[in-house]
Amino acid sequence: MSAGIGCRDLRVHAGGRELLSVPELHVASGRTLAVLGPNGAGKSTLLRALGLLSGHRVSGRILLDGRPATRSTMRHAAVAVLQRPILRRGTVAANVISGLRFRGVGRREAYERAQPWMEALGLGPLAGRDARSLSIGEAQRVCITRALAVGPQVLLLDEPFTGLDSTTRADLLADLRAALTGRPTATILVTHDRQEAVALADDTALLIAGRIRQHGPTAEVLDHPGDTDTARLLGYTNLLPPALTGLARTLAARPEHTRLVLDELSGEGDGHTVTGTLRRTVALGIVTRVDVDTAAGPLTCLHPGDVPAAELPPPGAEVRVEVRHARELASAGRDEPAGVR
Amino acid sequence: MDVLFDGLAGAVALLLSGDEESWSIIALTLRISLTATAIALLIGVPLGAVVALTRFPGRRVVLAAANTGMGMPPVVVGLFVTVLLWRSGPLGGLGLLYTPSAMVIAQGAIATPIVVALVAAALQQVDPDFLVQMRALGATPARALAALLGEARLPLLAGAMAAFGAVVSEVGAAQMVGGNLAGQTRVLTTAAVLATSRGEFPLAIAFGLILLLLAFGVNLALTLIQQRRVVPR
Repeated sequence: MSAGIGCRDLRVHAGGRELLSVPELHVASGRTLAVLGPNGAGKSTLLRALGLLSGHRVSGRILLDGRPATRSTMRHAAVAVLQRPILRRGTVAANVISGLRFRGVGRREAYERAQPWMEALGLGPLAGRDARSLSIGEAQRVCITRALAVGPQVLLLDEPFTGLDSTTRADLLADLRAALTGRPTATILVTHDRQEAVALADDTALLIAGRIRQHGPTAEVLDHPGDTDTARLLGYTNLLPPALTGLARTLAARPEHTRLVLDELSGEGDGHTVTGTLRRTVALGIVTRVDVDTAAGPLTCLHPGDVPAAELPPPGAEVRVEVRHARELASAGRDEPAGVR
Repeated sequence: MDVLFDGLAGAVALLLSGDEESWSIIALTLRISLTATAIALLIGVPLGAVVALTRFPGRRVVLAAANTGMGMPPVVVGLFVTVLLWRSGPLGGLGLLYTPSAMVIAQGAIATPIVVALVAAALQQVDPDFLVQMRALGATPARALAALLGEARLPLLAGAMAAFGAVVSEVGAAQMVGGNLAGQTRVLTTAAVLATSRGEFPLAIAFGLILLLLAFGVNLALTLIQQRRVVPR
């Protein structure tokens, strides 16, 4: 069987409710899977179930290298990084070696093995610091280093970049990507952020309401929403139902590809044009956001910030909206009929 | 004022004289209090951990009972233990009344709720995902629990100190179940009460001072463990 981690017929129940149902999932050694989903979709539930860390009722099989995982084999193979950095009292270095120590590695050897990872993740200068004096970004960096130092077969990351400022996050993402490259580690990253999936993951699965809706190479999945739910998750928040476009299927587009037609000469490009009533314009610095109500629901346009407000029509004006790079949705979302928001 | 001064001088003299009876009282006090504290920790730490870390029906009732127990009058505990151990009582056949064992039972019963309540509070203060994170790093359940106890070391040792403080200073139950028999069940508190009632103030003050020193010594040891630095300066 193939190396890596996976599951079959995985179901998680809590309080008589099914939180998660994943018929099959596999992440091969050396690959990274991003599980992308909105809050409450069951992402952490999935991650914890895969790591045999769940406090809920879990049924189905978790597979390590194709064989059913036991607590013991999982304990040796996998390491998880949780959303909140959880460190023990003591120095940064003592925290970084704790995964190795739990695995029975002697203190001296653990320090030796952890050293290169601390250097690679930029923790060298912090080694002797009290873990309680760290910023949240530094603490999360320690948690990730602690996980990597173990040299795990399976690395489970539960939104470890949430709450970090953008610079810290970008640096840590780059360092993690560099650290994982060329390693035989099967990594699963749970996140609600597309950019993290793009930065780290070979493959992406979209998890909504406890079900995987789409799964494939990251670039493909992120650019091809299958239904209205996944469209919204992927930033295709403007939905144009058949009634509005005359097409057979609902279209979905990103706000940054949706513009008001300000000049009669434009608006005849490759996009679709629909009419509506301008509700409001909001200057957001680098862009100006324009909300338009159409017969089938609201649309959001993002104009580059250099459009002077005076050039935009006033609220209540009849406007035409051009939608470019729209994707045809294969099906409607589960929760609602196509096109109704 | 003279009484107090004479008392202090007498106390120092007694301490320095190496009086055999005094030393046996000190030794018995330490033995009973430390044994009772150890038993309270043996029962209270696991129970407190279960209350803190698991969910079961009646969990909050147990916690409320432990919190109430923290303020329970020792006389009430002494009364119940006396009744239990009375010759015609349910455990009368054991013949434990007026023995050091009876005192250990009573003082253990006083200290256990303190340990349960403070351990539960200490462990609930740690991040709820701490155990999950430790297991997710490869810790066995036992190692993860040990790490959790280490993490909560400060409040846990504060709980141990509170428990020891409660039993070493306690007089009501010790008197009731021990009977203050000279050479058998006389401890510092009951000895001090007896000396005071007889007007032997130097002796009473001496016992009081020794009691204070004893409590300070044990708490100093626990505090040094508690405040041990985990991060080098």
